[in-house]
Amino acid sequence: CSEYQKALKSEDIATKFKMGTELYDDGKFSKANKLFAQIVPQYRGKPQAEKLMFMYSNSFYQMKDYYLAGYQFERFESQYPKSEKAEEALFLSAKSFYMLSPVYSKEQKETVTAIEKLQLFINKFPESEYLPQANKLIQELDYKLERKDFEIAKLYNKIANFESADYEASIKAFDNFLLDYPGTSFREEAMYYRFDSAYRLGINSVEYKREDRLNTAIKYYNAFQKAYPESEFSSEAEKMNAELQTAIQHYTIKS
Amino acid sequence: QESPLNLGQKYTIAEIIVTGDTNFSEATIVTFSGLRKGEVIAIPGERISEALKKLWGSNLFSNIDIYLTKTEGDQAYLEISLQDLPELNDVEIRGVKKGKKEALIKDNKLNKGVKVTENLITTTKNYLTNKYRKDGFYNTKVTVTTTPVIDSIEKSRVNMLVNIEKNDKVKIKNIDFIGNEKLSDKKLRKAMKHTKQKNFLRFLKRSKYVKDNYKEDLVSVIDKYKENGYRDARVIADSISNNDDGTLSIAVNIEEGEKYTFGKIAFVGNTIFTDQQLSSMLGIEQGDTYNGVELKKRIADDSRPDAQDITNLYQDSGYLFSTINPVEVSADGNVIDMEIRISEGKPAYFNNVTVVGNDKTNDRVIYRELRTRPGQLYSKTAVVRTVRELGQLGFFDAQQLSPNFKNANPNEGTLDMEYSVVEKGSSQIELQGGYGGGGFIGTLGLSFNNFAIKDIFKGEAYKPVPTGDGQSLALRLQASRFYQTYSFSFTEPWMGGKRPIQFSTSLSHTMQFLYNPRTRDADKSKSFNITGITVGLAKRLTQPDDYFTLSQAISFQHYDLQNYNTGLFTFGNGYSNNLAYTIGLSRNNTHTDPIYPTGGSSFSVTAKVSPPFSLLNNVDYTALKDERAGLNPTDPDDYARMGEIDQERYKWLEFYKVKFKGDWYTKVVDKLVIKSGIEFGFLGAYNNDRGVIPFERFFVGGDGLGNYSLDGRESIAMRGYPNQSLSSQDGGTIYNKFSLELRYPITLGAQAKIFALGFMEGGSSYDNFKDYNPFNLKRSAGVGLRIFMPAFGLLGIDFGHGFDALPGQSEKNGWETHFIIGQQF
Repeated sequence: CSEYQKALKSEDIATKFKMGTELYDDGKFSKANKLFAQIVPQYRGKPQAEKLMFMYSNSFYQMKDYYLAGYQFERFESQYPKSEKAEEALFLSAKSFYMLSPVYSKEQKETVTAIEKLQLFINKFPESEYLPQANKLIQELDYKLERKDFEIAKLYNKIANFESADYEASIKAFDNFLLDYPGTSFREEAMYYRFDSAYRLGINSVEYKREDRLNTAIKYYNAFQKAYPESEFSSEAEKMNAELQTAIQHYTIKS
Repeated sequence: QESPLNLGQKYTIAEIIVTGDTNFSEATIVTFSGLRKGEVIAIPGERISEALKKLWGSNLFSNIDIYLTKTEGDQAYLEISLQDLPELNDVEIRGVKKGKKEALIKDNKLNKGVKVTENLITTTKNYLTNKYRKDGFYNTKVTVTTTPVIDSIEKSRVNMLVNIEKNDKVKIKNIDFIGNEKLSDKKLRKAMKHTKQKNFLRFLKRSKYVKDNYKEDLVSVIDKYKENGYRDARVIADSISNNDDGTLSIAVNIEEGEKYTFGKIAFVGNTIFTDQQLSSMLGIEQGDTYNGVELKKRIADDSRPDAQDITNLYQDSGYLFSTINPVEVSADGNVIDMEIRISEGKPAYFNNVTVVGNDKTNDRVIYRELRTRPGQLYSKTAVVRTVRELGQLGFFDAQQLSPNFKNANPNEGTLDMEYSVVEKGSSQIELQGGYGGGGFIGTLGLSFNNFAIKDIFKGEAYKPVPTGDGQSLALRLQASRFYQTYSFSFTEPWMGGKRPIQFSTSLSHTMQFLYNPRTRDADKSKSFNITGITVGLAKRLTQPDDYFTLSQAISFQHYDLQNYNTGLFTFGNGYSNNLAYTIGLSRNNTHTDPIYPTGGSSFSVTAKVSPPFSLLNNVDYTALKDERAGLNPTDPDDYARMGEIDQERYKWLEFYKVKFKGDWYTKVVDKLVIKSGIEFGFLGAYNNDRGVIPFERFFVGGDGLGNYSLDGRESIAMRGYPNQSLSSQDGGTIYNKFSLELRYPITLGAQAKIFALGFMEGGSSYDNFKDYNPFNLKRSAGVGLRIFMPAFGLLGIDFGHGFDALPGQSEKNGWETHFIIGQQF
């Protein structure tokens, strides 16, 4: 029966604490975590609790149990706000939430929480050594949210042909996207695809709405052209615009 | 100025002691009270009452008091006196059956160790009294008594005795109405949905008196009057009296008032619909009996979200913000003129449309199914249909799907839509072993219904399998001593992600070994192997309507016989190939429950054809046919030659097969549904000299299970006859079937759906077209039961009576019992 097993069954909390600390220092976080979990209630209010709680929280983080790590680190920070580890704990708490953020194409509840937590950390410790890292993480998460909305808008463009040629959904979604994320890195693509949707809607339109739709498409082309005169999509866009110009002439001549 | 609270003098707390009967340490109680030594407080004052409140609030103590024992100058000595609440030791319940006791203990949380508060005793008492009253035991008396456990050393504990006197069920002997002239007693009694007179003929709803229900029923009685134009009707008084025999009598005194009729009905404020359109939707005309209930229903029917009413007329045209108010403008001489005041508001357009709760399924799998997209005009029907179709994907819990309207802005005419979904497990693992077919059969089946095949090489996607792309993947292995089957299938509902074109493919391999009578084991040297692959595309159509699906598939099967002499074929060594193209058109608009459709129809037409090989391969089949006809099957040499000829004929199977199937569901009354069905199938050959193939044939009779076994045969259900008994041994090449089924649901709950059915059907199969006579049917009738449970699928039993004789017999077939697993008739 190993010493670890003995410690697990032991009644003496000091033995557990000692053994747990050794294991923790050796990088055996899962074993250490089990021992810590047993003695956390008994140490509550005692002077060693601060060290114990930090190790306990960190063992969850190391075990990749980010749900509990996020929660425990946050608790640590609120219980020992004066601790020298408080800053690190709050950062690791926020980073745990960051770790929980799923791929962009699934629900982003955790992403939003992570951004909030990171922002909270930055507000609280604006001088922190972790600041650059925190900013980077926020950027990454913001990008994820942008990408989600961008991909959905693009999806509407992709599937619009089916049934009703509903490019309006795509145009509206891109409009909302550009409004919601003015500084997005997808701006160029978004403006191009918005124009692409409007172009398709205009060219394939029913007669009585055609003129309006062609004009809208041209408006979007101009906006795109003005913002990105040297875009990789420029040649394609120019071709489409030329087609629109030909189509619209039909109306201008008549009137 | 001094408020009474500040009247107390200021003291410093010098000491706090705790007295009384408690197991908690003094320090704990003092800390909990919030009072601290050295604190300056007013006595009497707020701090003391706060401390009392806190201690009471812990629900751990009784008899809590705080005393000021003495004062020395401004030093105060306090004493907290309290008693631990007793813990519950044992509960005894009298007056109910043993089996019920546990549930009662659970309902009231009377577990060992809970603190027995006054509140617990009172709520238990009330709960039980109400519970039995609701069941008609109007005179239920419940008493709860507690007795301390004498030998408790550590903690104070009590035993609880709950005595329930249900007494007799109170039935209602009669319900009398006084003052009713226009509506009969009988009609009014019928309007009372829950409160019924004693009547031994009515056994589904028993007579019992429940106060709440009775009050509700009185409202129903008045509603009944209102429906008939008596809108002033009211209950003046009602009385309940006890009879000697323990029953109740109810008397209701009614004032009917006068009858009213509708006068002019005018619409005000409507711009997008004409008065005529609205009044035809309203369906109420001048002179009709005044019916407030009906009027309300025609304007907004709360009971059905998809009702045909004026509200929905507006809601479906984008007018989310419309309001419709009927107003009585005059009531002259019992004629009521109405004005339907409509405020149309701006049409609403969707702004942001989002989905939340998808922590497994990828966005695009959901968003592509939405029928409400940004920029579109609001339509209630589209919302309802989206919710229904998301539920049909099978990835989400249909009960918990909800559309949430957000940021509705009447000024801008916009709203946001959020669909909230809850993922449910959609993978199944089937692992079973059992005896059958002369030995042990093991089956391993895996089916994943929300698979993501692009992630199969990504380690982190395995939780426990890659999910989220809406694909389905199934693997199935089955093995016994005599056969092994391996199959794999994959389906992608949106091929390429652009259009809802379903791509599916399946692979299968079957090995069958012959029984060796000497070793009583499978003879591995004698085998019959079948390998097949199918690739198919199915496309939802938009014309003529969007319930149509067009499907196409190419399939190839290779049959390989090694020493397999069973009489199935004239050759024991050889092979056969089946390459075919299938095209099908189907339409399905049955609704709403796929297990128990109450309306709509489904039909499908399919054609499966092989290429016309005989046109291309220059084999003279006429000569072969003539030669074969001249051979004698009992002569071994001739038989071998026949084998050669047949091998030539079946090298590549040449056939065409046409099938039609249609089912109609019609609601008769309430939930009684008639399902009528018609089926037809025909298997033919391009080259009559080459003949109709022995594969792909129809076998009519029995439960219809075991579809698509070895030789592509199709089992057609025909109850009242043994399995496959109505076709010749080689199977028919043509069949038809007509059926009529009457269904009635027993329960359609989420846990289990059960329905009973009665059926009549007729069908038969023929070996060739010359014999075909669609009216020469084998007939049967019978009854059955179906049970659907999500974990088990559909199970059922049918008793069918065959009225006609089996082929080759003269007596009618009589009763047959069929067990149904997984298949729907």
